[in-house]
Parts: sequence; C-alpha cells; structure tokens
Amino acid sequence: MPRKVPGRDQAIRASLAALLLLLAGSPEATAADPDAVARGAYLSAAAGCGQCHTDAKNNGPAYAGGRVIATEFGTIVTPNITPDRANGIGGWSNADFIRAMRWGIAPDGTHYVTAFPFPYFARLTDGDLADLKTFLDSLAPVSRPGLGAAASLALLARARAAVGQAVAANSAASPAPSAPKIARGAYLVTTVGRCGDCHTPLTWFGAPDVSRKFAGSAGWFNDRKAPNITQDPKTGIGGWSEDEIASLLKDGGTPDGDFVGGAMAEIVRNTERLTDDDRHAIAAYLKALPPKVFGENK
Amino acid sequence: MRSSIKLLALGAVLAIGAATATVALAADKDQIIKDRQALMKEQGGDMGAVKAYIDGKGDLAKATAGASDLIDTMKKIPDVFPPNTGGPNPDGKFTTKAEIWSDWNGFLAARDTGTEKATALLAALKGGDMAAITTAFGDTGKNGCGACHGKYREEIKQ
Repeated sequence: MPRKVPGRDQAIRASLAALLLLLAGSPEATAADPDAVARGAYLSAAAGCGQCHTDAKNNGPAYAGGRVIATEFGTIVTPNITPDRANGIGGWSNADFIRAMRWGIAPDGTHYVTAFPFPYFARLTDGDLADLKTFLDSLAPVSRPGLGAAASLALLARARAAVGQAVAANSAASPAPSAPKIARGAYLVTTVGRCGDCHTPLTWFGAPDVSRKFAGSAGWFNDRKAPNITQDPKTGIGGWSEDEIASLLKDGGTPDGDFVGGAMAEIVRNTERLTDDDRHAIAAYLKALPPKVFGENK
Repeated sequence: MRSSIKLLALGAVLAIGAATATVALAADKDQIIKDRQALMKEQGGDMGAVKAYIDGKGDLAKATAGASDLIDTMKKIPDVFPPNTGGPNPDGKFTTKAEIWSDWNGFLAARDTGTEKATALLAALKGGDMAAITTAFGDTGKNGCGACHGKYREEIKQ
C-alpha cells in the first residue's frame, strides 16, 4: 500500500487544477470581445488611425507605421502601432495607452509632437479608448521598426502641444448640443475626426483660432490649406444640404459634380466606412455651425 | 546710313511680330484654360446625372448618356492640357500642378484609369443593379476623377 503523502497530493491537485484552469481559461482570457474589436475598428476608421500609421505609398503593412510626414517641427516617421512588443505597442498597459492618447506622453516619458493629435483625443470617452486598444491589440504584430527621427525643436514642440491641448480642450462643442444626432456629429467632428485640425485657421502662435472654428485655412503657418466648412453661403458650404455634405463624405463628390482630390480624398477613404447615420450626424452638426467668413489672421 | 535704317526697320518689324505672337499665344492660353474648365464642368455634369439617378432624382437615360459622354470626353483631355498652359481657372479656385507636364505619361495613365472606371460605370448602368451602379459611381469619382485631381490639381490659396 503506497504511503500517503498528503502534502504531495495537495500539490498535485493544485497543479492539475491550475493546469485545467490555464487550459480552459486562457483562450477566454486572451481572446478579445469581438464586439469591442468591431467597435474599435470602426472608431479607428472614423479617426483615420491607419491613414498616418500605415506607409501606404510603399505598400507597408497596415498600422505598422513608417509613413513620412513633414511637420513644422521637422520630418517625422509615424510609429508602428501593431502589438509587436519590440517595435509596436504590444508591451503597453491600458494606462500607457490612455496616457499617450490623452496627454501625448509615451511610456518612457517623452512627449509627442502634435502631429499626433492627442489634444483632440483627450476628450475620447473611456469606452472608446478601451475599444480602440482592444482593436489594436487584436491586430497581427508586425516587427517593422516605425518611429523615426523625432522633432528637433523638442521644447517648442512641447510648448505648442501644451497650448494646442488647452485650446482644443476648451474648444469642444460647447455648450453641448442637446439633440442626440447633433451631439453625435459634434463628437465625430471635434474629437474623433478632428476636422478643425485642417479646417480651422491657426493663430500667429500656431494654435487653432477658436473664434473662427472651421472657417478654413489658407495654409500660411504650415502647408495645410482647407476650405471653409461653416454655413457662410459665399465662402463656406451654407448652400449645401445635409444630404450633400453626407454624400461628399461617402464618395468625395461635391454638389456641382466635382470630386475632391488630395488630403480630403484620403479623409473620404475613412468617412466612406462610416454608417449613413454617422455621416448624416456629421452633416447635421456642420449645418448647425454659425457662419464665419473665410480668412486668416495675418 | 541706309543700311542701318533698314536694320532698324527690320528690328521693328521683328519686335512687332514677336509681340503679336506673344499676345496671340496668351490669348490661346486663356482660351485653352477656358476650354479645359468647360470640359471638366461637362464631366462634372455627367457625374451629376448619374448621381441624380442614384438618389432617385433623375432618370436612367440621362445617367447613361452622362456615363457615355464621360468616356468620350476623357479622349479630349490631352487636347486641353497642351504644354505651357499651366495656370489658374477663370474662377480662381484651382490651378494646374507642373507634374501634368513633367509626368505626362503618369497624367495620361490617370486619364486612362478614369476611362476604365467610366466604362465600368456605363456597364453597371446598363446592367441595372443599383448596388453595382452605386459602387461603380463611387469608384469612378474617387479613383478616376479624385485620384487625378489629387495628383495634378492644386487648390489656390484664397
């Protein structure tokens, strides 16, 4: 009769239980909620994450970074945001992700330049940020080194970022629109899609001129130029119906049969993936904007 | 003395001739830019006819005629972009990029893409499947018209 060793039995039972738990539990513990992945993917399309974080020109893998972008602080190469641990954001905690998205601070404490539009993302809801992280974590890791030369004027970049952040935070749609459709449009325009990043003129310091939100930019500060999208009938889109605005976001066509090219054509590749309801929400919000005349502080 | 007068007269004639030629060239260029904008507006109208049909505001015959005209007008594009005719449209909204002429083969390839998309649009209209028509319309707009505008057209700073 074998000698009973209670301690050893207990240890074996515990190990078996742990193993079973691991076998049974691990797929559930690591497999992401498919609904959250889908919501995150939708949000990523609406925010255009892949637009900057993919080197589409050279057929680079999606979200693996490497796109070269000229900014007022020098040329940057966008980072890899796939879950690769060495080159991407695979080692990031939720807290790391939220800090980067809301405050523009990398896990190692360095600051991002505002080419990464964190001042706008500061107002993303907790749920949307969580969905976005779940989606990015669900991507296949790509071991492509992405992050290139950082800005040379780091201090200026940081000062500009701080100002931009404060201004953007204060320039949210306020007071919050009461109609749910317009409120949804406001969130998509001001926070997720950041239309003002191109369509709002800049002050002499390079911060958005909140007194002329969406009044268009002639591109004197950097090379961005974009038309007036307020309700001004002459220099803006006051003559466009909600359907016509939603239609442009779907296929890039304007009411006179023209088709946008350049930067807005890239944006349409994001907005064409939105639902009709969301495109109409954006249009309804733009229709509710006060008219402003195109022009710049010079 | 006489010969120098002759030379002067010859010089004057040449100068007047050159000036006239320059004026004529400038007038031609203005006309070409007008023709160019008219052609683009015509194509915009063609796309508008298809769009109206998709939106339930226009008829199929007009949409089909529009797609057909789009294919025909694509052939005229090189004629309205001869060399040395870069410049803004009369309404001052857009101007040409120098790449049209420095990358002429690329420009023609963009036109060929437009023709290909417009041909698929016409086929979809004849097929009668609204989903296919909508897809072909978006493809023509984005990857035909829009792609060329993105590469070869520039918005003017207002």
